[in-house]
Amino acid sequence: MMELLLGPWVEGTWMMRATLSASLTAVGCGAVGVFVYLRRMSLVADALSHVALLGVVLAWLVTRSLDPVLMLISALGVGLLTTSLIGRLAATRLVRPDAAVGIVFTALFALAVVLLSMFVRDAHIDLQCVLYGNVLGVSDRALRLLALSTPLVLLLIAALWRPLVVGSFDPRWGLAVGLPVLVAHHGLMVATSVAAVAGFEAVGAILVVAMFILPAATAHQLARTMPGMMAIAVLHALASSVLGMYAAVGFEVYPGGAIVLAGGALYAAALLYASLLRARRPRAGAAVPSPSR
Amino acid sequence: MSLHAHMTDYAFGHAFGHAFGHAFGGAAGHVSGLMPAQLASLSLWGERAAEFFRFEYAFVVHALLVAGMVGLVAGIVGVLMVLRGMSLLGDATGHATLPGVCAAFLVTGTRDPLALMLGALVAAGLAAWFVSWLSERARTRRDANIGISLSLFFALGVVLLSRVQHSPGGMQAGIDQFLLGSAAGVTREQVVVVWAVGLTLLTLLLVFYRGLAHASFDGRHGAAVGVPVRALEIGLIVALSLVVVIAIESVGVVLVAAMLVVPPSTGLLLGRRLPSAMVWGGLTGLIAGTTGVFLSFLQEGLSTGPTMVLVATALFLVVLAVVSLRGRAGSAGAGVRR
Repeated sequence: MMELLLGPWVEGTWMMRATLSASLTAVGCGAVGVFVYLRRMSLVADALSHVALLGVVLAWLVTRSLDPVLMLISALGVGLLTTSLIGRLAATRLVRPDAAVGIVFTALFALAVVLLSMFVRDAHIDLQCVLYGNVLGVSDRALRLLALSTPLVLLLIAALWRPLVVGSFDPRWGLAVGLPVLVAHHGLMVATSVAAVAGFEAVGAILVVAMFILPAATAHQLARTMPGMMAIAVLHALASSVLGMYAAVGFEVYPGGAIVLAGGALYAAALLYASLLRARRPRAGAAVPSPSR
Repeated sequence: MSLHAHMTDYAFGHAFGHAFGHAFGGAAGHVSGLMPAQLASLSLWGERAAEFFRFEYAFVVHALLVAGMVGLVAGIVGVLMVLRGMSLLGDATGHATLPGVCAAFLVTGTRDPLALMLGALVAAGLAAWFVSWLSERARTRRDANIGISLSLFFALGVVLLSRVQHSPGGMQAGIDQFLLGSAAGVTREQVVVVWAVGLTLLTLLLVFYRGLAHASFDGRHGAAVGVPVRALEIGLIVALSLVVVIAIESVGVVLVAAMLVVPPSTGLLLGRRLPSAMVWGGLTGLIAGTTGVFLSFLQEGLSTGPTMVLVATALFLVVLAVVSLRGRAGSAGAGVRR
């Protein structure tokens, strides 16, 4: 048992590095995800995590380097482009909002895949990485990126906490009392783009969306206050990273898939617990967080 | 990947040394070790185009037949999905086919197309059911359900894919080709299956057209006048799963959703009534599919799936520009009426 638990950690630093990068990714995405989820913007997060790839590919094509700061800036640019394209397409009123999301991100993702397969040759970005992520071989560069992005994201959320919370539940009231609700909204989009680009190397561009949604959806079942929801989401993120890494090592499967499945198992447990609670105390069990201002 | 290699040999064998072994430069080819693709010269493009239009290679014809049918059916069925605000359900079911394909391979140990398609169909249906189960039973934000279902199924697929690659002969099975699609590997049997499914779906759409149209625009009214709305809904989801399943070989599981959203949206811009929107949607899908196959034949490194999507997007943008210049006002789905 101890051998099973400790084995991976003593065979070199790879387990350490992989778990570190997975946890950093999960915590950043999970914290942002709470607000993304509450604002019913899960699909925008899906879109942003797909197009993060385009940001990385473009940055590489222009500069031939994978400098973390550069990648963040490029991903931010592409992320803002994506949200504004979705907004403008929906604003024509010729296309439904959900179809606008679908059109923009699939098109940009297809563009990224084509550019990637035609022009990019680099050990650190290839299709494997896009689809499965690569925490086991995480590079120093990717770790530096995460060490930069996750604190950045958490700081942004801490700084915008109050307008973010209010804006998630009652944006009009927030505007009326003069809270920077709009600034918070844009800040959230920036944080989402940053977390997505940092995360796609860990679990792959497609699975990043799970890192945003699953912790928040789990916390939504259990928490009653916003700080509580945030705490549960972060715990869920950490637990699924560690459990997923063990599962990946134990069963020799891709860590990206294992981490997301571990997160899904925790979500299922939370669903079960919440429904049992509801069955026993029909009224009290409705674990919907109220905005604690 | 060996399928790719196999097609390469096949192409070489028939082309007597013509340099297009990389025809349909697919997703599988450049995982490692290959040089980055170069843009071919104009004359090479001309040569390849001439080669393409002689249709002398069976795999070119197969690819065209499959991509055309997939684009057509996806464009038509997609219109109904987009009108119902279910645009992104195709995303969930598309990604969900990956574990089905992998499980079918692990169980049967062969790359029998029918077995893989059956696995994909079961997985796609399960994912659609899972989305609606989450919406009804779990107290989760509805929009999150698609993301949850998509990522859990895809994660399972990724995990199974690692098992596939560990299994004997797994690496050679070319299962990872399903991720981004490769029209080069399409066999004659697959053409038959895709056309059989496609034509059946089109026939069923014609038969149930009135009810579907009713349910798409005003479900309550439909239910009130005796249209079996619930049954039609289930039928539509089965149809969606079938479209996804026949699409994964050529478009790939990651981008199937695009073919269910982009051409239909173009159709909804062009058609003023539901039938014409569906016809335009199907036509755009057909053009995108076949043009995608042609372009990926011309240029090394262009995978078929992403190329189809980019062609569809270009068509959409042109139509959008024309429509908005002509200033046709209207809300989403524009002036589409029954």
